[in-house]
Amino acid sequence: MADDRTNRTPAKKSDRPRRRDIALTAGLGVFIMAVLALSGEMGAGVFLAGALALAALAAVYYLTALTAAEPSVRPALASASLRPVEIEACEAMLERLPIPVLLIGPGGRIERANPSARAFLGLGAERGLLSTALRQPRVLEAVSAALRGERGASVEYATLAPLESHVRAYVEPIRLNVPGPMPFRAMLVLADDTSSKRAERMRADFLANASHELRTPLASLSGFLETLQGPARDDEEARDRFLSIMKEQTERMRRLIDDLLSLSRVEMNEHVAPTGSVELNDLVRDVAEALRPVAERRAITLEAAFSDMSAQVRGDHDQIYEVVENLVENAIKYSPDGAQVQVWVEAARTRDGAEHMPERIDPQSGRLTLSSPPLDPDARFAVVRVRDTGPGIERRYLPRLAERFFRVDGQKSGPAAGTGLGLAIVKHIVSRHRGGFTVESAPGAGSVFSTFFALAPARPAAPADAPGDVEETPDAVTKA
Amino acid sequence: MTNQVKAPHIVKAFSEELEQLSADVAAMGGLAESLVSDALQAAATRDGDLAAEVVARDAQVDAMQRDIEKKIIRLLALRHPIAQDLRVCIAALKIVTDLERVGDLAKSIARRVPTLNDSEPTAFAASVDRMGKLVLSHIHEVLDAYVTGETARAVAVWERDDDVDEHYNALFRELVRAMRDDHAMIGPGAHLLFIAKNLERIGDHATNIAEVIHYLVTGSELASERPRGPRPEQTV
Repeated sequence: MADDRTNRTPAKKSDRPRRRDIALTAGLGVFIMAVLALSGEMGAGVFLAGALALAALAAVYYLTALTAAEPSVRPALASASLRPVEIEACEAMLERLPIPVLLIGPGGRIERANPSARAFLGLGAERGLLSTALRQPRVLEAVSAALRGERGASVEYATLAPLESHVRAYVEPIRLNVPGPMPFRAMLVLADDTSSKRAERMRADFLANASHELRTPLASLSGFLETLQGPARDDEEARDRFLSIMKEQTERMRRLIDDLLSLSRVEMNEHVAPTGSVELNDLVRDVAEALRPVAERRAITLEAAFSDMSAQVRGDHDQIYEVVENLVENAIKYSPDGAQVQVWVEAARTRDGAEHMPERIDPQSGRLTLSSPPLDPDARFAVVRVRDTGPGIERRYLPRLAERFFRVDGQKSGPAAGTGLGLAIVKHIVSRHRGGFTVESAPGAGSVFSTFFALAPARPAAPADAPGDVEETPDAVTKA
Repeated sequence: MTNQVKAPHIVKAFSEELEQLSADVAAMGGLAESLVSDALQAAATRDGDLAAEVVARDAQVDAMQRDIEKKIIRLLALRHPIAQDLRVCIAALKIVTDLERVGDLAKSIARRVPTLNDSEPTAFAASVDRMGKLVLSHIHEVLDAYVTGETARAVAVWERDDDVDEHYNALFRELVRAMRDDHAMIGPGAHLLFIAKNLERIGDHATNIAEVIHYLVTGSELASERPRGPRPEQTV
């Protein structure tokens, strides 16, 4: 966190006044000597020598002062000599720059912001105050320092919620050629650092998780190998049994590595919004058909129901498929033989309607939102719900469901046991899609898992109550 | 940006003062938000230095509160605001009080970090972190709603406070159970309980702010009782 603080040094006092003082003193000395020489008190030779000595002294002092003191920061002076064409070119470049750039005026008012800055901070058209758009105390401090003409700074800030982002802000003072007591403006440039920060942490997490979780099956493998080499070398029966357990363990390790890789891939791209479009009705139909044989093997009926309306959402087809597949697989896995699993699609739900079903599955059921997008009262969602009539989950476990490697029963072995990563993957995919993921469960009554995604703007026939001049924010950029 | 100043006043300075007031409250909110976020980060990464910094920075929140309160009193005395303008002032007054409390609670979380660092890491760090992120997102959303004047967003946060309660209850039960099973957990467990309680109260302050925003924009109060789950104190 050391680099989180502003690395700003106090602005160097200009050494120009001191230089002027020296020149003045030397000049005064020479002048007095000249008067003395003229009045005859001093010989011409002495005067010349004295004047030369003073001048040399002043020159030496001037030079040392120049090199000793760091060159003073001179804020870039906005040049006034630009021709109109050049101004136009500069404007066009600024407008097209994919990096957010802002100019902050006295009092912290935003004087200019290029389109990417407007999108990044969710700014309207008017010239608001910076602190309402970007509430980061360190950035605001650096900006007000720059407005006082102090040296620029680079500040890092992070928001953890609702969406994680890491941004580096560069603040630089600019001196304008304007009359008045406040010639300084502050230039603020924002650079999104989220990907590299994430990549760094993902790598560390992946290594830690992989080594920790692989240790158990690996230990058991090497134990069996030792037994096979030693005491059980000639025991036919034990050898067969051991080999089948070993096969199971390697299977489990493979699944674990697959899931871990899948998780890290999803996590890596989590802050990059997907671009594709998916019809949830079709997708759920495909998942149900693919998993029906699995369900039938245990005499479980898998029922799928669809929405009459289109459930076209913005998203990555393969990832949403993985979400629904994971949820349905889980429902089958945790249902007793012969039970019933339902999966269905609902379209055009409000946020409240999407989060949970209108009726509780049980009066005592626990409900929890495991992942949710930033609140937007106008958004409409398409929902996929998966309901099982399994044993249900105790309320106190609900918050931990999407934690990686968390298993409700604490069972870590057996062929049916998962890797404990399924719901973590679901959560991260949903969060990448700026969707929601909720659970409702009651012991004995089963569970309902719901995921919802924002409906893709299908037709422009939506009620046109929004004012026309409101800039549409691309959903790839999020409000800091 | 601010919906709160719609029609300009004849005295332009008054409009600007009101706008500046909202901006100051937002800046103070940002500071309180960063304190909570840093306190959580300090707890998650066992960073004693960052925790000490949070404790020190809380004074800044207090100073901002005093400063904003003075400005409001000056506004009330000099401009005699009525209707919407009066609500802007009263709302700011209420919100800074809540934000000051949020800062204190963040400080209280940070104060526990060095003590927690003395004991072994527990398995509850992830749960505390998750609850903290939820609370943080609520604070973030209400401050956004304050700046943009979106009542619906404020009300949505207000309605979702039971999610925070649900996290708190689950954590409370798990901690009590862990402390019962393993007496070595009693020390760190007690501190974690307080951290969870502090987070839960930060969530409550977020709902308070949401109520104030509703009052500020609509002029009426959020009447109905806030939805809330059973208290763990009664059910364990």
